[in-house]
Amino acid sequence: MAPFGVDLDYVAVAALFCIGLYMLVAKSNLLKKLLGLNVMETSVFAFIVTSGMVEGGDPPLLVAGAQPPFASPIPQAMVLTGIVVVVSVTAVALSLIVQIYAHYGTLEVDELKERP
Amino acid sequence: MSVAWEQLLPWAVALPFVGAALTPVLAARSPRWTGPWAWGVVLATVAVTVGLVAHVAEAGAFTYAIGGWSGAYGIELRFDRFAAWVLPLSLLFAVIVPFSWRYVVVSLEPARWGAFYALLLLVMGGMIGFSITGDLFNLFVFMEVTSLSSYALVAVGGRGVAAWAALKYLFLGAVASLLALLGTALLFVLTGSLNLADVAARLGPDVARGPVLIAFAALVTSFLVKAAVFPLHVWLPDAHAIAPSPVSAVLSGLVVKTGIVGLVRVVQLFHAADAVPLAGFHLALAWLGAVSIVMGAFLAIFQDDLKLMLAYSTISNVGYIVLGFGLAAPYAAVGASVHVVNHALIKTTLFLAAGALIHQTGFRTLSDLRGVARAMPQTAAVMAIGAVSIVGLPPTAGFLCKWYIALGAFEADRAPFGFALVFGALFIFVYYIRMVNALYFQAPVHARVAEATEVPWSMRAPLLLLAASCLVLGLLGGAPLAFVEPAVAGVLPVGGP
Amino acid sequence: MKGWALALVVVVAATLAIGVQGLPTHDAPEAPIHDHVGARYVERGVEETGMRNLVGAVLLNYRGFDTMVEVVVIFTALAAVLALPRAGSVADAPEALPVSPVVLFVVRLLAPFIALFAIALLFRGHVSPGGGFQAGALFGALFVALGLVLGRRGAARLVPERARPWLQAAAPLTFAAVAALGWALTGSFLGFPQAPELHAVREAMALALEVAIAVGGGVILGSLFQTMEA
Repeated sequence: MAPFGVDLDYVAVAALFCIGLYMLVAKSNLLKKLLGLNVMETSVFAFIVTSGMVEGGDPPLLVAGAQPPFASPIPQAMVLTGIVVVVSVTAVALSLIVQIYAHYGTLEVDELKERP
Repeated sequence: MSVAWEQLLPWAVALPFVGAALTPVLAARSPRWTGPWAWGVVLATVAVTVGLVAHVAEAGAFTYAIGGWSGAYGIELRFDRFAAWVLPLSLLFAVIVPFSWRYVVVSLEPARWGAFYALLLLVMGGMIGFSITGDLFNLFVFMEVTSLSSYALVAVGGRGVAAWAALKYLFLGAVASLLALLGTALLFVLTGSLNLADVAARLGPDVARGPVLIAFAALVTSFLVKAAVFPLHVWLPDAHAIAPSPVSAVLSGLVVKTGIVGLVRVVQLFHAADAVPLAGFHLALAWLGAVSIVMGAFLAIFQDDLKLMLAYSTISNVGYIVLGFGLAAPYAAVGASVHVVNHALIKTTLFLAAGALIHQTGFRTLSDLRGVARAMPQTAAVMAIGAVSIVGLPPTAGFLCKWYIALGAFEADRAPFGFALVFGALFIFVYYIRMVNALYFQAPVHARVAEATEVPWSMRAPLLLLAASCLVLGLLGGAPLAFVEPAVAGVLPVGGP
Repeated sequence: MKGWALALVVVVAATLAIGVQGLPTHDAPEAPIHDHVGARYVERGVEETGMRNLVGAVLLNYRGFDTMVEVVVIFTALAAVLALPRAGSVADAPEALPVSPVVLFVVRLLAPFIALFAIALLFRGHVSPGGGFQAGALFGALFVALGLVLGRRGAARLVPERARPWLQAAAPLTFAAVAALGWALTGSFLGFPQAPELHAVREAMALALEVAIAVGGGVILGSLFQTMEA
């Protein structure tokens, strides 16, 4: 979709990226920072997966009744891989956060900085 | 009968991965065997990398099409003279793994031994894959294996502080990875391909410059963060100082180099495509390198914590490498490429020796470790050899590279960078002299330091081997430089600076 | 801090706004994404891989090496979580948290259906949306839901102790085995034989990978949750 010559998909991706970045940088709570990171990553996935779409296209399933054009299968495979990577990073981050909370009793960066 | 070594290329990655997957299985039966098992896997990998490097020296760069899908239609591995660094990489693991055994037994409960060695093998496999892949997306996935296992390895040693250092590392590392993925996605959208060589060929003059520049900037920033170039180094000092010493050696000596290898791959791509003004980029790189050298050395002077000092020293040394590539002169690029290996060796030596001192005495600051050379003469001697090497005094491994980088600065008519380099070397000299002075010429302040005993042989043998390598590599001199020379033209700007 | 963050966001937004100028329009069939590698996959994917779901064909066959590294990534996450110091262990955990009877009933009622759906995704993945990863995610979710209801010790019984490390390593090991088989059959690592008489072998290889991804992924997701909870 491109009303006024602006591709709305790109606008949405850039907006998501910036929202995630703001959360990551400005929030003091570690869990919110992690959520921000996930939002940023989602924006890149959205960019990749929408880039494979095609006007009036079918999903890349070549079963009876499917008509060309087909959406490109590569971006979908890339995003599937990317999601698994992000899930793994998130799991490790969460278990580190659990450790930090168990030791310091807080998730606020401001308070963590004051402790030795 | 000659072995078709190029057929073994994917196994250089698959071996450590399979070894890592089997480590927890083995640990469930008998945790004691995980260390020897990991060592065996590393040695098998070394055997493969030796064959690969021999093949590239003889026949030049070669590619391997995974699954038989050649070109852009599948994933291609590519082994060139830069990728040959996987040999010293795996060799260093062959020393670090036995060294780590004593640490693991003392500091970790048996239930975690398997996971620890699995992570070490995963770091190695990830770095090897990162160095040999010829595919942009594959590069990203391998980078994630390395990064993810590095984050965890930082945190294995302790609870609160270590987890916090690891989390800071994770956040910055994840943003860096995200930028690499964004750059990859942009290039893919613009060219429809993920193969490095194919992307370069398809980035013709009709492709829009704006997104190409963003992709280039995203990839370069990502790898500069991974390489901890000043001012993107903020994650490094804590993570490297707090991690257990064998892990610090892996992170500081080897993992930061994935950033450099990534940078080389990106520059190779854009060099071939001629799609961005590389001359300006090289100048910026040279500045970043020069600033890193001076700032890293400057910050290191004020550290009392031995490992923190070594961590800052890594920032300076990465600065040398980045400056070498940034000078865009053949001599400097050759020096920088070889310094990747030399710094890996020297920093591993220093971190392991520091680990040995800390392990035996329980102290980690220079003021506490004063006079330890009397009680632990061999470890202190290894430390001193490492210090002399990293400063770059003539008979050791560190000298030739820095000499080549300086020559490159004068060759490229950029004498100020040559002076920055010498100035940085002076700083580095100062703090390593301070370290040697504290270890050798001051009286012990703690009884435990005066009465410390030498480390057990499982730690001492790796240390002596590493120190000997520092000296031998210095005497060997030109061989690595001559080996990498044919490849550096691919990372210099077209038509010279 | 907030102002600084806002400034950074504005700079990044401006950079992105300039950056997207000149990107191919969405949905345009002539975009490079559709006429280079993607075109070949659509044109010859079914013939070359035997899979009608082209996403699966890319994941397992054309870019199978990526997927192999990807299952290693998730295995890395497990090794990472297992390597961290633990607060407590499964043995000294409380038997089961008090759970509302509604939750208990709903989880018990839905569990078989979730499992059935996961299995359907797994085995219908070659002709419909789905595949190993989707099934693995569902199995993982099932383990987590059951873990909440059964308590930690009950959840630990879901996967037999002795088989657990093998199941956790299932995906990387199966990939290596399939890669080695492909190496032996076609001469290239992770190669799938194309000769018509070996089509059954090709399908068996793909199916083995899908099942290993689903089982290995599901077990790892469940283990991650349990380890973190402890």
